[in-house]
This record gives sequence, structure tokens and C-alpha cells, in this order.
Amino acid sequence: MQLRGRKHVATVGGAVAVALLAACSSSSSSSSSSTGATSAPAATSSSAAASGTLNGAGSTFQLTFQQAAISAYKSVASGVTVNYDGVGSGSGRADLYAGTVNYAGSDSTIPSTEQAKLNGRKVLYFPVLIGPIDVAYNLQGVSNLKLTPTLISQIFQAKITTWNDPAIKAVNPGVNLPSTPITLAVRSDSSGTTQNFTLFLQDAVGSAWALGSSSTVKWPSTAHAASGNGGVATTIKSTAGAIGYVDYSTAQASNLTAASVENKAGKFVAPSTTAASAAAAGVTVKPDLTFHAVWASTDPTAYPITYQSWDIVYAVQPNATDVSLLKGYLGFLLGQQGQALLAPLHYAPLPSNIDSMATAQLSQITS
Amino acid sequence: MMAIASEQQTVDLREPSGWRRTKNQIATVGMWVAFAVMLVPLGFVLFTVIGKGASAISWQFLTAPIPINVLPVTFGGVGPAVYGTLVITGFASLMAIPLGVLGGVYINEYGGNQVLARVINFFADVMTGVPSIIMGLFIFTIWVLHYGYSGFAGSLALACLMLPIVIRSTYEMLRLVPDSLREASYALGATKARVTLTVVLPAAIGGIVSGALLAVARAAGETAPLVFTILVTQTLNKNLFSGANTALSTLIFQNATQPYTGAQARAWGSALTLIAIAFILMIVARLITARFARYDR
Amino acid sequence: MSIAAKADPATPAGSASPLTKRRPFGDRTFQVLCLAAGLLVLIILALIAISMTQQSVTWFTTAGWSGVFSTNWDPAHGAYGALPFIYGTLVTAAIAIVIAFPVSLGIALLLTEVVPGRYARPVVYVIDLLAVVPSVVWGLWGFLVLAPWLQKIYQSIASGLTGVPVLSTFFGGTSVSGTSFFTTGLILAIMITPIVTSLSREIIATVPTIDREGAYALGATRWEMIRGAVWPHSQAGVVGAVLLGLGRAMGETIAAALVIGSSATITTHLFNPGYSMPSVIANEFGEATVGEFRSALIGMGVLLFVLTIIINLSARAIVDRSARRTRGA
Repeated sequence: MQLRGRKHVATVGGAVAVALLAACSSSSSSSSSSTGATSAPAATSSSAAASGTLNGAGSTFQLTFQQAAISAYKSVASGVTVNYDGVGSGSGRADLYAGTVNYAGSDSTIPSTEQAKLNGRKVLYFPVLIGPIDVAYNLQGVSNLKLTPTLISQIFQAKITTWNDPAIKAVNPGVNLPSTPITLAVRSDSSGTTQNFTLFLQDAVGSAWALGSSSTVKWPSTAHAASGNGGVATTIKSTAGAIGYVDYSTAQASNLTAASVENKAGKFVAPSTTAASAAAAGVTVKPDLTFHAVWASTDPTAYPITYQSWDIVYAVQPNATDVSLLKGYLGFLLGQQGQALLAPLHYAPLPSNIDSMATAQLSQITS
Repeated sequence: MMAIASEQQTVDLREPSGWRRTKNQIATVGMWVAFAVMLVPLGFVLFTVIGKGASAISWQFLTAPIPINVLPVTFGGVGPAVYGTLVITGFASLMAIPLGVLGGVYINEYGGNQVLARVINFFADVMTGVPSIIMGLFIFTIWVLHYGYSGFAGSLALACLMLPIVIRSTYEMLRLVPDSLREASYALGATKARVTLTVVLPAAIGGIVSGALLAVARAAGETAPLVFTILVTQTLNKNLFSGANTALSTLIFQNATQPYTGAQARAWGSALTLIAIAFILMIVARLITARFARYDR
Repeated sequence: MSIAAKADPATPAGSASPLTKRRPFGDRTFQVLCLAAGLLVLIILALIAISMTQQSVTWFTTAGWSGVFSTNWDPAHGAYGALPFIYGTLVTAAIAIVIAFPVSLGIALLLTEVVPGRYARPVVYVIDLLAVVPSVVWGLWGFLVLAPWLQKIYQSIASGLTGVPVLSTFFGGTSVSGTSFFTTGLILAIMITPIVTSLSREIIATVPTIDREGAYALGATRWEMIRGAVWPHSQAGVVGAVLLGLGRAMGETIAAALVIGSSATITTHLFNPGYSMPSVIANEFGEATVGEFRSALIGMGVLLFVLTIIINLSARAIVDRSARRTRGA
């Protein structure tokens, strides 16, 4: 077997590489690890014939979904390769401005400070999923913690520093809280999860939350910062007494315990996909498909820290291939097959009105 | 210890006095303790890697595509990473080994006592000590920024890492070949190139190949040069020259900080695979030295 | 590689001696090829210096010397002070040397003085095993196994030392996950032991046997012989070996990135998390798409490059000088 483009197979390394090339290509892409991809035929015929590469980067909230979708999309459009890098919403947007990716996964809209980087180009927001932000914690023997927004804001500003603080005890009568010090687990990278979590705190407690709302926040110096939702989950998992904010999908997959949070209706709701769907149900959507689901719903079953994630693309693409590739892949994410992947991965699907609006917006991608 | 013939005394001068003997024993024990201290982490790490990684290893593990992070280790495998490691390291070796051997030949055969040869020799030595992250940053700066991420960029970075190692080991091996061999060949009328290629190199080939294999083992395990050049991806990329790629070392680095047990198990399995590759290369190198190296230090 | 190994310009029987002919084309080509390969080393080193310095100019000019060497590292707000990382690099490397030096020297002496030739081979194999474990595997094991285990030890030491004057400033801190300066230093020590050991062995082996035997002849114990005959000769060389180990420890990236704790703070508490130059470059490079951020990271790469080159140069110079001196004896 010849290695393409090489004339001399001279070294041991070359021979071994050849042997395993043969092995790899013969066993090829066997059963992909799909989790519930239905066998419905492709939505658009153009995606089946298309071939090329799409690159995306950004939100780690979307990461698990993107990985599953990329894998499932292979059976729909085998000629298309999609790559998604979970570098955080901020870096994903930066990559979009720099032109190194076709789409950016972002849990927050483009902030005003970054508008200039667009150079006047129009962007389209495609929401792809909804999900809760867990306030996850690691406390031996405590599995049913309740927290109010006020408590959360005090904990994350390091005003409450031990677990058996009377303020926490007041909301959790009968729970045996130890004297362990609280370790904060936060994001080190520019994150949409951070932005939505802090937006929730800002909306819920007003001026009592002094750290503002943005993709990067100056957390108390004692906070332990990690990269990505996965990094925060790792910190919480490995540190007794830790508390942090992680998206529900990651927290579930990491077996973390989460607190029930008091919502606008005064009820303590545990994070779940149903509670997230309830929170997103009545949300006001702007024409450009931006909306905020945190602290919005008055439904008593709604989880108050529910958020969303978009795939952001430029409305005008450099060529027709990119247009058809993006329409194909984004259409897949928004379509029945893509949305069906969400539930087993602990995400909530888009409310149907938002999904229809997004699918209709696909036609606005032009070259 | 020489026995000193003593006079009629009860003192036995063969043995050192108490305190001196104790000091000696402490020193000897200390040296053995140092050895044991080194064994502990080695044993510990091998025990852990084999313990946690062995259960993951299977043919499926080594060839199947990489599943999404959250899935347990029974789904999918690390096939693209194995492919990436082999191909990227293989291509780097194809570039670095011939160039390294030629460089070593230059220093030893053609350089003589010239300043240039000694300067190159010295800086090849210095270059072996340059951290691998610098090589990664370097290739990022001069290649990736212009041509994008690719497996080839990773190979370039690894080749920069391997080059000085191969030069130095070739140089050391060629030095050991006795001059009489060269002089006899010249006496027969051969040109310098011919002498080098047909007499000197074959004489030193055992040591050269063994040194090259050790360089390959080192490169296969490197992570930092790849982090900046291949833009790690999850899917199999057979095209070395365009598009992101992946390798076992970068996969381990990524998965080490993941909270999912499946991802961590894949990391342990990859670690075991990587160690196995490096060990096998090292053992083959030693065997070649033992059997084929005609001249040893 | 296709080397033009042309056939020797056949001197037909009876013609002029080949020594009077011009050197054949193939011969010259080969020489040029070899020279080019050798020059590649110098070219690459020069390119590294030039290209990376170019990329880091933004950082130096924007931040100025005070900005570059400030303790404030806050990329979100445009502050790129590198001092915490320089500190971390030096501290972890120092810890690594302090731990690795006695261990490596002990093993080297064991191999040269205590263990007879035959049995030295298995010991050398074990050292090679240690050397061949890739850095990322040390990092993986360090992060998932060693750090959690050390975390409890740090806690007990720190609580045991509360109030003790000097020791508590160094060992009084703790780390929630076990990742710290000390953990990093420990892993680095493990990684540089093989290279320091094998180099020390080579140095010690150059001590003339006659000096050893002389010492024994005078009735010295092995330890006294080492102190009196071996050490004076190999002192400088071993220092050089240690310097090489230091250079390697400073540049070690991946293992450090995983176990250092990623906290850009300067503190004397060795059990606290910290950060080092190669670690921050590896961890944050993916997010550094803003001009000055990336320039700062590459700038730290330049600092690292210069530091390791200086250390390696001095190390080699010392080792070469000492080897030359003893060989003459």
C-alpha cells in the first residue's frame, strides 16, 4: 500500500503508519455514538449532495449538543465535515470577527463593546437550545439545598463564607449544614454562561449585586477559576465545599448536585428540562430572534436561571457553498432530528414558535 | 581495603573506626534510598495507568471514532487520535531523521576543526534544551498564521524538536567509527561522499537508528508543540495538510480536566497506548544497539 | 531523501590518478546537502528569536517595562503583567532542583561506585523507563491521582504548622484541589531526575581510577573516597548537570499546566496554587485572539526562550570545561 504523495517508504515510522492506515481505513467510521438520532430522511436535498467543511467555535454550553449533532449529521450529509471547538462564547465571537470560523456558538448576544468589530456586517442569530444553569455544589450529606437569589448573590460576592451561615440555615431548616468554608468555582474564560448567570443576579436582586453582568467578571480573589463549563464542573467535583455555576447538561453528565432556586413566583424549583421549558414558554422574542430567559417567567414551575444559546453567522457569506453548508447544518440543528437529540443530553428543546421563526430566518443567509 | 599488618595490638586496623563506618553505611543507605525514591513515582504512575487504562483498551478503542465527551468509554474510542499521532509523528520523523543524519555527518565528516562546524555542534546541543512549547509557538508564528492549522504544522514543530536530538546522536555515533576505516577507503580511491555513505554510515548505523528511534519516542509523546499547531478536533482527518487534526497527547491533555468519567477513562486508555508506543520504540532501540551497534562507548 | 550518490567517476585503467581530477559533482552536492542540514539548526534558532520577538513587540511597546513586569494579570481589562508567571516558573524549578539534586546524585553515585557493572544495567533501564513516560501522562496522573492525595497532606501539614514562625510562611497555605507550586515542583523533579542522573553519571565516570584507588589505598571508606577523590573532580560537572535539569524544569509545559493550579498570584505559600510562564501560554493561548493578549503570551515565550538558552549555554560550558580538565589527568 502506497502512502499518497510520498516516494520513499524508508523509515520504520513510515511502515508502521502505513500498516495502521490500512487498519484504520478498513474499520472506518463504524457505529457512531448517536443518542437518539431518528432515521427520518434529510430535510433538504441540498444537504445530502453538499460537501465541504464547516468550522464553528464558542459556547461550552452548546458543546455536548454540537458534538452529538456533528456526529449524527454525518449520516445525513456524509460529505460535510463540521468542527466545533468549545473555547467559550467570548472566544467564539472573536473567532467570528476574525473570520476563522463560519459560525460562533454564543450564549449571549454581541455586547455593545464588540459591535465595532463587526465592521458594519449584519449577523443573524439562530437560537438552538434552552437549558438551566445549575448552582451546583459539593457538600457531603446535603442533597436538597434551597437558595434564594439574594443568598446566591451574597455567596458569590464572598459575603457569606461558610456553609453553616445563619442566612443559609434560615432558608434550609432541618438541613445539617457543616462548617466547611465555601469555595467558589467560576469561569476563567469569556463565557456566555457567566453573562447569563450574572444577568439573573442583576435582574433578581438589583443593586445588591455589585459585580455587574458581562462575559468576564471580577470575582472575589478567593474564587477558583477554570476554563469552560467542564472545568468548573471538575473543580466542584474535586473540591469539598465548592459551589459554582454550571450548565445543567454538563452538571448531569458529571453527577453534580444542584440547588433548588427560588423563582419569581416565590417557589423553589430544582433545575430540569421541564422547568426550563416552562421558563422559556412565554418569553418575549425580538424580531432578530434575541431574547433573555433568565428571571423572566412568572410560571411557578419555571426554573429562574434558564438560558439559551445561539449560533451566530454573518448574513452575507463569501460564497454559495458556505451558504448551502450553513443552511444544511443549521437547518438540521433546528429541525426535528436535531432537536430530538436534545432531551437525552439534558437540554430543553426550543419552544415551537421560536423554532419556526429561526427556520424561516434561514432563507436570509445569502451570498 | 588493604589489611595492614599490625603489631601485637588488639586494634584491628583493617576496619575503620565506628563513626567512619557509620557514616559510610549511612551514605550507602542514602544512595539506595535515592534509588527507591525514584522507583516510587514510576511504579505508582505505571500502576495507575495500567490499572485504569487497560480495561479501556480494545481494538474498537484504538480505531473507532471519538464519541461525544459525556458518553462512557464503552462507546467509540480514540481512533482519530491514534491515527493523528502515528501520521503526524511519522511525517515529522521523515523530515527530521534524514536532515539530522546529514547534519551529524556534516559536523563529524566535513566540519573537522572549522569554526562553523563547532558552532553548529554547540548550538545543536543548546537547541536540544529549548522547551518544546517554544517550537510550537514558533511554528504557530511562521506557519499557522499564514497557512492555518494542520497536521503538517504539527509535524513541522515536532521535526524542529527532533532535529537537534538526531544530529547530536548521529554525531556521537560517527565519532566512534575508527578513522582507520575511512583512511582505508580513501586509499582505495573512493570520494568522500562514497566513503561516508557506503562505509562510515553503515558502520554506525546501529547507533544512529537507535538514536533516531529514541527521538521518535520523545516526539510521539509531546503535547505542547501540537497544541498550538493542529487545533484539536474530534473527527478523523486523513488530510495531513489541511484542516485541524488530533493526537493522543492532545486528547489526554484535553480530557484530563473534563468532569465526565467516560472522557477520563479515554484519557487513561490513551495514556496507556502512548506509553506502550514509547516503550516499544525504546526497547527496539536498545535491541538494535545491543545487536547491531558495532562501536559502543 | 534522495541523495545523488553518483558513481565514482570511473577512472579507466591507466588514466591519470583521481587525485588530480576535479571533485565529482555528486561529491560536492553531498557536501552541500550536509552543510545545509547543519545550517538548518542555526537558521531555525535565528528564526525563532526573530519571529517570536516580532510578534511580542506589541506587548512590550503597549505595556512598557512597568507593564510587562507588573503583578497585575487581568486580560479582560487589558493588564498583562508577567511577574506572577516569572515568579512561578522560578519557584517551581527551584523546588524541582532541591528535590531532584540529591536523588539524582545518589543514584549516579550508586551506579558508579556501589553497584558492580553487571547489575548497573537494570538500574539504567529503570531510569530510562522514567525518562520515556511522556510529560502529558505525568500531568494526567498528577492532576487526577497525586494532587487529590497531596491535598490532604498539605492540609494536615498546614494546620500542624500554624503559628510556627518561618515554616508556616512557606508551608502554611493550602490548595483546595491539591494543585500548587509544590505539587508542580514534585512532578518536575521526577521528570528531570533521569537527565540529571545520566549526565552526572557521565561526569563521575571521567574521574580517573587512579585517584579512586589511591584513596582506597590510604584506607578510606567508600564515602570518604567519594568525598575526597570523586567530588572535587566532578563538582563543576555536576553543577552543570543540575543547571541543565533546571533549564528543563523551567521549560516543562504540559505537566505543569495541569497541576499548578492556574492562579496568577505571588505568594510564599508553596502549597497554594500558582502559575508559570509555560503553563499560562498553554492554557490561555486558545482564548488569546485579541492582539495584545496573544502578543503577551508570545512575549513570555520569548522570555522563556532567552532564559533557557542562557541556562543551557552556561550548563554546557561548565560541563565541557570540567570534562576537559579531568580527562587530562
